[in-house]
Amino acid sequence: MSEKEKEWVIRLQMIQLQSENPHLDDYYYQEYYKRMEAKLAEEEKRGEWAKRETPKLTTPYVIKSESYTPVVHIEGSLGQVAVSTCFSPRRAINAVRTHSPDEDVKDSRQPRMEVYIEKLFSQLLEVEEAARKKGFVRVEEKGGLMEEMEKKVKQIYSLIRHANLHESSEEFLPCLLVSKGKRLLARLLPFLSHDAALHALTMVTTHLPTLMSKDTDEALPVLYAPLRDVISALSFSQLIGVLKDFTIVVPESSETILTLACQNEFGLSLLYVLLSQGERLLSSNVPMEPNIGDFETWTDTVFQVAQQLSHASLVEPLFLPSNLLTLFCRYLDKRTVHQLKSNMESASGYLAVAS
Amino acid sequence: MNYMPGTASLIEDIDKKHLVLLRDGRTLIGILRSIDQFANLVLHQTVERIHVGKKFGDIPRGIFVVRGENVVLLGEVDLDKECDQILQRVSIEEILEEQRIEQLAKQESERLKLQAVKERGLSIPKADTLDDF
Repeated sequence: MSEKEKEWVIRLQMIQLQSENPHLDDYYYQEYYKRMEAKLAEEEKRGEWAKRETPKLTTPYVIKSESYTPVVHIEGSLGQVAVSTCFSPRRAINAVRTHSPDEDVKDSRQPRMEVYIEKLFSQLLEVEEAARKKGFVRVEEKGGLMEEMEKKVKQIYSLIRHANLHESSEEFLPCLLVSKGKRLLARLLPFLSHDAALHALTMVTTHLPTLMSKDTDEALPVLYAPLRDVISALSFSQLIGVLKDFTIVVPESSETILTLACQNEFGLSLLYVLLSQGERLLSSNVPMEPNIGDFETWTDTVFQVAQQLSHASLVEPLFLPSNLLTLFCRYLDKRTVHQLKSNMESASGYLAVAS
Repeated sequence: MNYMPGTASLIEDIDKKHLVLLRDGRTLIGILRSIDQFANLVLHQTVERIHVGKKFGDIPRGIFVVRGENVVLLGEVDLDKECDQILQRVSIEEILEEQRIEQLAKQESERLKLQAVKERGLSIPKADTLDDF
């Protein structure tokens, strides 16, 4: 074999070793080399053997040609020869995508939302990866990393809000109707600022009837945990604002959201968490700055809820907070409380702890 | 000169005597002259070696071009150790005769085995119906 031929074979084999990310692509070789060098360094330190120079594999930098000529026309030959390299195999079919404007709009709508959500999900995964890295990254890099994260989070948030570009009045809803969209929001919530999270919570409560009725996959409970965390950080006035939504009458069914929530485990659990938060805020000694009329709304809501809960048949909630009965004892008479207690207990099978 | 340290490459083996085992069971011994990225081999002054028991015989074949996918393994032959072998070299005719006898014996034992198995009501699939690659 001539030298040129040997060079050619070596070069060909070297091309396969080219990579942007050797630690990912060629993991075993990199590990092997790291260990060998560590071992040699160890030996050298002990001074037992003379330092042996391990030959290092130097991969020549071969420029990967970006252009790819699928067909090569050789002079004087009939027909065309298909050329393929190991990075761009032979193009067999001349398939070109043409966008026809009169596609069936309805057909393309459904997968489009899910594809959209998938794209948002991959961005969210980057954010979560950055959050994990934060634990062991150097101080200088931390600032830049945090900025990146915040930027991405904001972007994802605004994209979820305005998923449906045509009807901008429907914030969040198109995304939330897809079960993966709910999971996306659930994983995004821990990263959102307090105001953004509050806005998201408000949106969920206003759209609660639609969400509950259209929740065929039963994916709503996934939102419970992050929303519970958001609620536990709410101030009293913010809480009142959210609770007010529950008393709104849904136009289609002429019932309040409250009534509908009692029939859905997510809705009911959300309601319980809200009440529990209110009770916690009131019973703690933290000074609150309630707006005018807040307390009234609070007591009104509590009465309304109590009424609803004692008469309607309840479903089992995801979680029953322990301070609910304390709350009801404060405002209502013993009989109502007793009725409430038995109704709640029969629904959940837990004992609602009273003070 | 070490072309690619830390890697497995046939470049170093050029112009050395090699023993190549093929997928169909043949053993070739020849000087490796040329290779390519698929490990296709060009063997020079090749000899096909047939082994039966402790005897072997060589059939000279000339130049062999072997497609890489058909090679099971290959290795360099140590020219010193090649001389002192326990194996006995015989003529080509003799070794072919020995091989033929061995084949017959094998077929006979297979036949008996199949018969015994059939008597017991079992069935073993025949080798040619199986995919041996």
